[in-house]
Amino acid sequence: MKTEQLLEEIREANLTYLLLAQQMIRQDKPQALFRLGITEHVAELVDNLSTGQILKIAGSNMLMCQFRFDDQIVWNLITSHEEDRSRSMMNGVRAAMLMSDQLAEAA
Amino acid sequence: MAGKSVIDDAREVRRATELVELGARLQVLETETKLSRERLLRLYKEIRGESPPKGLLPFSTDWFVTWMPNIHASLFMSIYDCLIKTSELDDVDAIIKAYRLYLEHCSTHELEVVLSMTRAWRLVKFIDAAMLRRTPCTQCGTHFVMRTDDLAHQFVCGLCHVPSRAGKTKAARARRDALVAEHAAH
Repeated sequence: MKTEQLLEEIREANLTYLLLAQQMIRQDKPQALFRLGITEHVAELVDNLSTGQILKIAGSNMLMCQFRFDDQIVWNLITSHEEDRSRSMMNGVRAAMLMSDQLAEAA
Repeated sequence: MAGKSVIDDAREVRRATELVELGARLQVLETETKLSRERLLRLYKEIRGESPPKGLLPFSTDWFVTWMPNIHASLFMSIYDCLIKTSELDDVDAIIKAYRLYLEHCSTHELEVVLSMTRAWRLVKFIDAAMLRRTPCTQCGTHFVMRTDDLAHQFVCGLCHVPSRAGKTKAARARRDALVAEHAAH
């Protein structure tokens, strides 16, 4: 991938992410914090961004969204393909609980 | 009620409406809103098209510590706790939002909904009253619901250790065997 093309893809991903985040925050803030995994402080900053500011941030050479966890356990849980229904159910529940607990601890 | 704010009243009606839509019993509405019983009855009938079921709510903490209900109850409490800690929410609004997210988890993961709205509400009340509490599993560290007077220092959750008496159906048996095998493999 050429650099210009890469930068264009980053810009698009940033734009989509920022607009979606802002829309979610405006619709239902508590739910948005849960889904986005961010603090209220960050949510307020994103909420207050003007369209011009969003365009400017999106045009950076860095991605503005980040991987949500660096925890090996969570990665294993969400990437595993279990044939067994109850095992995949349990992995899903455990992953959701770990992510919720981590976010609650960070708050 | 004299001098009551119209905005407050509207908020109460909205809350009651959401609770009824999610399947809450009348007792939940009576506790969580300041609306009169007559208005709540009318609201209930208007939304559900039938009279609310009569009789008392299930009162025991036992249900929440049985295997499958405990997993669902613990998942709900994780979501609820996360919402309470990250946002400033009234308890009842946090219960409504957490319950919606719990339903969403069940539908995206194709799970049967085990925890009803009324049970979820009851669960939060039991925890507030310190009859139940959340305790980290000594093996995986995830927080699970347990009785307050049960010992926590050796607590192993229902996902790490599936009790031999969990369920009696064929499906449950197959599920259990698979889990025992997985547990042994680690």
